[in-house]
Amino acid sequence: MAPKDETRSELDERSGVSRRFFLKTVGAGGVAASVIDGLQEALPHAQEAGTAAAPAAIGPGPVPITLNVNGQRLSLKVEPRTTLLDALRNHAGQTGNKRVCDRGSCGACTMIIDGRTRYACSTLAIEAQGHDIRSIEGLAKGTVLHPVQQAFAEADGMMCGFCTPGFVMSAVALLEKNPHPTVEEAKRALDGNICRCGTYVRVLEAALKTKGVARG
Amino acid sequence: MAEARQVPEVAAPAVAQGNAAYAWPTHPTYMGTDVQRIDGPDKVTGRAKYSYDIQRPNMLYGRIVRSPHPRARVVAIDLTMARQAPGVKAALAVVEPNAILMFQGEEVAAVAAATEEQARDAARLVKVQYEVLPPLTSVEQAMSPDAPKVFPDGNVREGAAEETGDLAAGFKAAAHVVEQTYNTQVQTHVSLETHGCVCEWDGDKLTAWVSTQAVHGTREGFAQALKIPQANVRVITQYMGGGFGSKFAPDAQGIICANLAKQAGAPVHLMLDRKEEHLATGNRPSAYAKIRAGVSADGMLTAFDAQTWGTGGAGVGAGFPLPYIYQFPNRRRQHKDVYINAGGARAMRAPGHPQGCFITEVLMDELADLVKLDPVDFRMKNLPPDAPDARWRAYFPIAAKLFGWDKRHPTGDATPGPIKHGFGCSANRWGGGGRGSHAHCEILPDGGVIMRCGTQDIGTGTRTLVSIVTAETLGLPIDAVNTEIGDSLYPFSGGSGGSTTAASVTPAIRVTAVKALDALKAKVAPKLGVPPADLVASDGRLHARNDRAKGMTWKEACRTLGAEPIAVDGEWQPGLSASGTSGVQMAEVEVDTETGVSKVTRLVCVQDCGLIVDKLTAESQVIGGVLFGVNYALFEDRILDRNTGQMVNPNMEWYLIGGPSDVPEITAHLVDQPERGVIGLGEPPAVATAAAIANAIANATGVRLRSLPMTPDKVLAALEQQRAGGTR
Ligand code: FES
Ligand code: FES
Repeated sequence: MAPKDETRSELDERSGVSRRFFLKTVGAGGVAASVIDGLQEALPHAQEAGTAAAPAAIGPGPVPITLNVNGQRLSLKVEPRTTLLDALRNHAGQTGNKRVCDRGSCGACTMIIDGRTRYACSTLAIEAQGHDIRSIEGLAKGTVLHPVQQAFAEADGMMCGFCTPGFVMSAVALLEKNPHPTVEEAKRALDGNICRCGTYVRVLEAALKTKGVARG
Repeated sequence: MAEARQVPEVAAPAVAQGNAAYAWPTHPTYMGTDVQRIDGPDKVTGRAKYSYDIQRPNMLYGRIVRSPHPRARVVAIDLTMARQAPGVKAALAVVEPNAILMFQGEEVAAVAAATEEQARDAARLVKVQYEVLPPLTSVEQAMSPDAPKVFPDGNVREGAAEETGDLAAGFKAAAHVVEQTYNTQVQTHVSLETHGCVCEWDGDKLTAWVSTQAVHGTREGFAQALKIPQANVRVITQYMGGGFGSKFAPDAQGIICANLAKQAGAPVHLMLDRKEEHLATGNRPSAYAKIRAGVSADGMLTAFDAQTWGTGGAGVGAGFPLPYIYQFPNRRRQHKDVYINAGGARAMRAPGHPQGCFITEVLMDELADLVKLDPVDFRMKNLPPDAPDARWRAYFPIAAKLFGWDKRHPTGDATPGPIKHGFGCSANRWGGGGRGSHAHCEILPDGGVIMRCGTQDIGTGTRTLVSIVTAETLGLPIDAVNTEIGDSLYPFSGGSGGSTTAASVTPAIRVTAVKALDALKAKVAPKLGVPPADLVASDGRLHARNDRAKGMTWKEACRTLGAEPIAVDGEWQPGLSASGTSGVQMAEVEVDTETGVSKVTRLVCVQDCGLIVDKLTAESQVIGGVLFGVNYALFEDRILDRNTGQMVNPNMEWYLIGGPSDVPEITAHLVDQPERGVIGLGEPPAVATAAAIANAIANATGVRLRSLPMTPDKVLAALEQQRAGGTR
């Protein structure tokens, strides 16, 4: 699975400069290496699979998979190369999380998997089986918004709104771990998300003002 | 070749007399206050359906095959293999053999298949034979005398020289002269929702869900290109993920999508990927200016002589205003559009202005230093006279006070250590203003209110503005209004460009709501025994102006309608909007002179926009505009390989846009001008930021950067040159 907050924010912490600068000043190799480390760390079972007997070949045609999304079992047939994001968007009609860069650099597709933020565009659907997946669709209870969503709406933490589901998911993951973040902590947690309309000021305001998020 | 779709600044009269019946309320309930976006809940829950999210029964996915070469001749296109690939339902060639392709990413062929994966596979099976031709990959190359002649009318198009005053006399009066070259980069729009649409045919009628800034303009575009009546086309845009000037037409991908859908007999979803978006959907042209400018000993501008050029890619112009705002009594300018083999420019958030502003404002600071004047004092001496649409003389002092400009040190932070701080300032102007919008209002017997307008909300909050003005006029809560926009079936409204939407739409809504209310008053007046003209609507009641008790609730009033709702049409009228805005920005930066990294720590933006309709979303516009400028100043750059002409960074990890950690403290000071009516605000705040940052970096480091973006390598190179004893 694509690591998100872990690698990115550690990198930021170490260098003391923003992620953008980091990417600009460090070669691609450095970033790629960290991504692979994170992947192995995040998926111990995948590592095991790699070292054990060769797995039975699956695909290239569609294969049945079962995902646990927002507490619901979802049975789909998708090609093994299908990302979690595309599986939910194109095959399950769950279009709340957006596809923007499709390669792990903008955060619009952010979901929470086993309590950690992940780029769903860089996570294979078949590999997400057996994990606890939370997407933007799972937050509100009917018409009652999740406290983070409520705070975003009140603070105007959105303009066109295309980045918003990803920001909301990142903010939820942050607040479930750390209900009272500092500005710096909030910035770091949201640094894996990009907004072109420039809503950061009010997104941060919303994240810092949110009350009543239970620890995850 | 197409010209960039430049949305003109609307030249509406600054003050126009309107019909007093429609005048904006003098003591509004909602207007000018913080009103939350009415579609906020839909956006934060993911329920909002963007074109990207539209799914139709039996929908296919489309994929375009694009030229990998910046310049090539198509020898042959073979679709056989693609047609036989699994899931493929349509395949077509976009160009004929022998067509000359002029930029990397130009459309060549397209396929549609049952799944997105199948469409991608099939696109790879389209066999295109190219004869690769030598491209023009840079402005320098295109302008050199031995460059291949790539464009039929020449690689360079030279405009007529503009000249005012007596240049020789101007330079004679100058005590100091600056002679420098400035430049700005090509910037791409990077709308998070890429361009594209879903097209579905029902017989000869087309419905298209398009990510567009103009539902009506796009309807016209489809009809023209497909040679069908406009009446057969319906364009829907309920939500769209940003356009910034790049989304006014179906574009090539829209027409391709419609043709694929026709061929397949099924709806087709065709949204571009990020690389296609960078290559083929527009950009802000680059700008270069070689300038000689003079200033008198007492700090008055005397002369300005500029040769300017820039590229808008393959066959598109690269104009920009210069000099910007300040008054050079004697001036000359000669501009050249330079064509290269790269994707064409389109309008982009205040087309031309950030370029002209950066170049002029950096020059202004250089001149101020020569006459040893504070940059603000120097600007105040050389501004045009104060006018409603030119209020810099008032705004510089306001900004200076908010910012603490008096703490500015002279150029070059003398503090020891590698971290240097600096202040910079700049000014902006824009047109805005509106006209031409229509609306339709229904008041239903059960008390319901529908307001329809064929505008679109591109993220600026237009949907919310429609609700605010309707609710204000009818004396109802905002959520009592059903606002329906984003559909070409609704009354005409123009494209959302040039910051004209608010000033076009809100007057139309006001007029229409007043007409609907008048119709309701006429029904109710006899029952209350009050003349219609004495009735007012407030707090959910219709009542006599001087006797609140003499009235009825909104619901009771509507019940008197019986079975026949009120249905009225209205349109934009003069007197409720104006054009012309001005603003001033000040920036503080922190530059690490060892790494070359500049960080913007503080920004003050003083901006007017006429009458403020929603303070909350207006401030968001300002903040967003300023951040757009920060990105332009420090990060963004479309980089082409100078040998191959390929874009090196067609993605979001090497084409940089700032993230949350790059955000400075921003003070958005909106100047309300209720007397002018609504003007529009989308573009102006994005104009001045880069220039203010550039001047702040010079103030911090003592070295002047004359080229955007101001990346660490440029800062370090300038410092190195200074140490080596080069020119400032
Ligand atoms: S779409 Fe997944 S990170 Fe951009
Ligand atoms: S709100 Fe438009 S990209 Fe963030």
